[in-house]
Amino acid sequence: MLKKNGLLKELVTNRILFLMLLPALIFFLINSYVPMVGVYYAFTRFDFNTSLFNSQFVGLDNFKFLWQSGVLARLTLNTIGYNIVFILLGNVLAIALAILLSELRLQWFKKLTQSIMFLPYFVSFVILSVIVYNIFNYESGFLNSTLKSFGMESVDVYNTPWVWIFLIIIFYLWKNIGYSMVIYLASITGISEEYYEAAKIDGANIFQRIWYITVPMLKTTFVMLLLFALGSIMKGQFDLFYQLIGNNGVLYNTTDILDTYVYRSLKVTFDIGMSTAAGLYQSLFGFVLIMTVNYIIKKINDEYALF
Amino acid sequence: MTKKAVKTVTMFLSIIMFISVLAACGSNNNGNSGNTATNAPKETEGTTNEGTEKPGIDTSKKVELQFYMLGDAPKDIASIQEQVNKMALEDLNATVKFNYTSWTDWDQKYKLLLGSGQQVDLIFTAEWTQYQSYAKKGAFQPLDKILPVAAPTLNAYVPADMWEAVKIDGQIFTVPATYKEYVTNGFVWREDLREKYNLPKPVDVATFEQYLDGIKKNEPTMTPLSMNSDVKTNLMDVYKSIAHTPIGALPYGIEVDYKTPSDVTSYWGSDVQKEDLVTMKRWQDNGYMVKNVLAVKDTLQDQVTSGRAAALLGDNPTRFNDMVIKIQATHPDWKLGYHPFPLTNGIATPVHPIHNGFAIPASSKNAERALAFYEKMVTDKRYNLLTQYGVEGKNYEIKDGYYSMLGDSNSNGFSREGMNGWAWRNPEFMLFDKNYDGVKAIFDELDKIQTPDKFTGFAEDYTAYQAERAALEQVEKQYLFPLNAGLVKNVDDGLATFMEKANQAGLEKIQAEYTKQWLAYVEAQGIK
Amino acid sequence: MKIKDDSYMKWFRLIAFVVILGATVLCLFPFLLIISASFTQNDAIIKDGYHLIPTVFSFEGYATVFRFPKQVLTAYGVTTMTTIIGTTLGLFFMTMAGYVLQRKDFKYRNFFAFMIYFTTLFGGGLVPWYILITKYLKLTDKLEVLILPGLMTPFLIILMKNFIRSAVPDEVIESAKIDGANDFTIYSRIVLQLSMPGIATVGLFLALHYWNDWFTSSLFINDTTKYQLQYYLYNVINAMSFVAQMGSGTGVSLGDMPTESTKMAMSVIVTGPILFLYPFVQRYFVKGLTIGAVKG
Repeated sequence: MLKKNGLLKELVTNRILFLMLLPALIFFLINSYVPMVGVYYAFTRFDFNTSLFNSQFVGLDNFKFLWQSGVLARLTLNTIGYNIVFILLGNVLAIALAILLSELRLQWFKKLTQSIMFLPYFVSFVILSVIVYNIFNYESGFLNSTLKSFGMESVDVYNTPWVWIFLIIIFYLWKNIGYSMVIYLASITGISEEYYEAAKIDGANIFQRIWYITVPMLKTTFVMLLLFALGSIMKGQFDLFYQLIGNNGVLYNTTDILDTYVYRSLKVTFDIGMSTAAGLYQSLFGFVLIMTVNYIIKKINDEYALF
Repeated sequence: MTKKAVKTVTMFLSIIMFISVLAACGSNNNGNSGNTATNAPKETEGTTNEGTEKPGIDTSKKVELQFYMLGDAPKDIASIQEQVNKMALEDLNATVKFNYTSWTDWDQKYKLLLGSGQQVDLIFTAEWTQYQSYAKKGAFQPLDKILPVAAPTLNAYVPADMWEAVKIDGQIFTVPATYKEYVTNGFVWREDLREKYNLPKPVDVATFEQYLDGIKKNEPTMTPLSMNSDVKTNLMDVYKSIAHTPIGALPYGIEVDYKTPSDVTSYWGSDVQKEDLVTMKRWQDNGYMVKNVLAVKDTLQDQVTSGRAAALLGDNPTRFNDMVIKIQATHPDWKLGYHPFPLTNGIATPVHPIHNGFAIPASSKNAERALAFYEKMVTDKRYNLLTQYGVEGKNYEIKDGYYSMLGDSNSNGFSREGMNGWAWRNPEFMLFDKNYDGVKAIFDELDKIQTPDKFTGFAEDYTAYQAERAALEQVEKQYLFPLNAGLVKNVDDGLATFMEKANQAGLEKIQAEYTKQWLAYVEAQGIK
Repeated sequence: MKIKDDSYMKWFRLIAFVVILGATVLCLFPFLLIISASFTQNDAIIKDGYHLIPTVFSFEGYATVFRFPKQVLTAYGVTTMTTIIGTTLGLFFMTMAGYVLQRKDFKYRNFFAFMIYFTTLFGGGLVPWYILITKYLKLTDKLEVLILPGLMTPFLIILMKNFIRSAVPDEVIESAKIDGANDFTIYSRIVLQLSMPGIATVGLFLALHYWNDWFTSSLFINDTTKYQLQYYLYNVINAMSFVAQMGSGTGVSLGDMPTESTKMAMSVIVTGPILFLYPFVQRYFVKGLTIGAVKG
């Protein structure tokens, strides 16, 4: 009773705010919430001739293929491991570059380099994989041609799994750094010049100014990016892994993630149930993780929490 | 603080539940009504409307048919569609929309088209789009009853044995193409280089290997064998089809010899496989294939036509002919040689009727009209020529009985079979390019030793082991592909690891179930 | 003190300069390879690989892309239109939502923020969404389908919320309220102006998202005149790898598949224009833009 009154009262007093939020609410309701009904596919056997809710209920059968091959633990670890590195290195590098860029005074240089760092974002992974092959292939790759001309032994990168851990991380950073850098750059722009002036007067040098003003001011942005990234920590960068590794089974132990596994496993099988099941597994994991992290953040400082 | 959070989450979750229940009810109703709607007219129309008008179907209501084909539409599709619709509106009170999936992600889209229940009235089927499995799972409507009513001409036109051959569980689900062709493999090599270095003509694995070796020794900058990362279909399946005499490219490492269809063995883990893998390793070690073959994404043909590689393990006559044409234009001094496998192993199977067809998905509400329209596409010369070759005088002309494209592929918006109309080819109306004579010559040769396809008619039902099947897919790529590419140093150990992982994924269960189904099929069809 | 700071500053700027220059070169290199390859003869690419300077110079890649110029130009048109409409609409809705969600006096902000965020964690998967759009909303082959599903993302809304919160102090809103302005007026007169760097960033991302979108075309567009430019590119780049997987047994003839040089030419053509957008956005990344506001 009380709650209802509260809601009604709130609706009336803040009607304009509600109206302003309405388009977003409708959008997510239709585009995201309605299709959520489909998670039920994960528990049924797909049937072309009846509707979803009349299909046969099969319990957890559709999840079976995930652990059937005995690689689920490895896949989960790989997926999370890569994502953690991506998140940490990606943000640290983006922050560093954004700070460096923001301190540069040469306007044309600043603008030009910013634009160029954005370029890799547009390079399709398909093309990237071709370029990577061109550099690293055994017989005629750029790397081996160079090594040979110095009289050194050729290296067989495509059959050396551990190298790919680094290559994948490097290419991820290469492609995405421009994007996240812009976010930090925008945040730095938002910091009031007054703080810096005041710090200067107090005798803080450039490093101190960055450390005690800029970095703390970026915390909100960082926490937000972190929370979003953590929510999808079980969802891998499919294109990156799929295009760079593809059919090369030699590298799977170090480079296979859930998304590529599911894609390969179901490419020849028609099964909505199994693909939904895999998605659900990834979602649940992310959900639990994010609720925990958000709870902890909220305990420490309410300001930074997402909700 | 925490209380508030808990409250927020519970409130939120209950709202979700509420919405899902609402949506569930909604979709439930829709599903049901949709079902009755699709079933009802089929029964009533079949019985009540007999004898009215010409095709015996009710054409009083105008419908738009959704036609789906794989690949890319030709540039002129809009004007072709317009002309087809003019005729179809008059003949059947229907219009058609020609939709193309494009090759990119076609398999994914094909699944969605059939699985989503959206309106699709006609869709391409083939053994490589898994016609048999889809039909078995009920993705298509059975055509037996409506064929004589909606498409009597088509029904009579397709020979009875072809109708019989496409049947799955005793029912027809697709309209097969009647044009006879071969997609059997054959060695492709650089004849000019073979002559130059006096190498043997490849006719079997041994001579092919000698050719590869000769190229390796004499042309150090060339890769003898063109290969890419799909070592299963492009390397092993092809290799097996010339080194042995399998009945078809069976999955899950199951082996059935062409001559003894009811003898099922496991190829995986056998000595035969070990021997084959040793050969692959030798090819790899001798540098016949590039070392990083599992990362190569170029097509096999491009590697040869650009001059980087000197041979294909296998390709079909039509594609071989395409390469010859291309090389004539770019490198007239090169020559290509071809040796069809059937001449060596005696298995010359023309394509199975399932290879090209069109089916009516379960979601279609216009099954009769769709079939009547498809009949027009196949048997009505006006429709057929228009949708296969475009407009005469604009896109093509007939010279000495041959098809001749006007302009070139850069200016012409509709090339020969521009709509990928493999399935509605009608041998009576077909026009061929002069270049195609080479293929016909090979086909004629194969016709002389023709043998039946004993494998393609089989419809696997993997419902019982689909989890294992998906898991095995992974194991195969991870442990067998490197072996196939000859990259594993110790073949014995590699094979043992693969077998161990495969068994862990449930190989035995899959093989047992598949064998059971296969034997039942062989028994029922009387295949010997 | 002053002198020390200056010398620090000098060193710092030098390091910054070198690091940024290095990063730029790394980002530029592969792109130069692509541009060079787009001007190389196709057979030469397959045979000799990629080089910074074309081994056999040729325009054939571009010639192939533009052999039916109408298609590419139409695709350009579709993408430009969806990008402009989608970005404008999306920005409008998302700035409003972001503004509302950061208002501390809005009681249910946490609930709604969670509701929006939740959609990134959970989803019904591709198939139900596909069914919703094709079967219930019937948007196949409609231009709306290229705009609507991408209108908002949880990430950009929350990002917007954060930008607004840091750019617009609560006191500004409070004082405007006391002056009798309603919530929408506060949003349109004050908030929008104060959070320009944030809006520029979110707008850039949204525009990029529309410009780079091929997936919606791939799923819902059959009519070639409504293809987005990126889907055009995606097809050119990918078709070959899909056809390459088709064994000879499929009987699919390879015909006129796009070649390496065509792919490269196409990626140059697709990427080019969006680069002009970025300098436009950069104008808003100038420090000190918000000084006046904070004082007010």
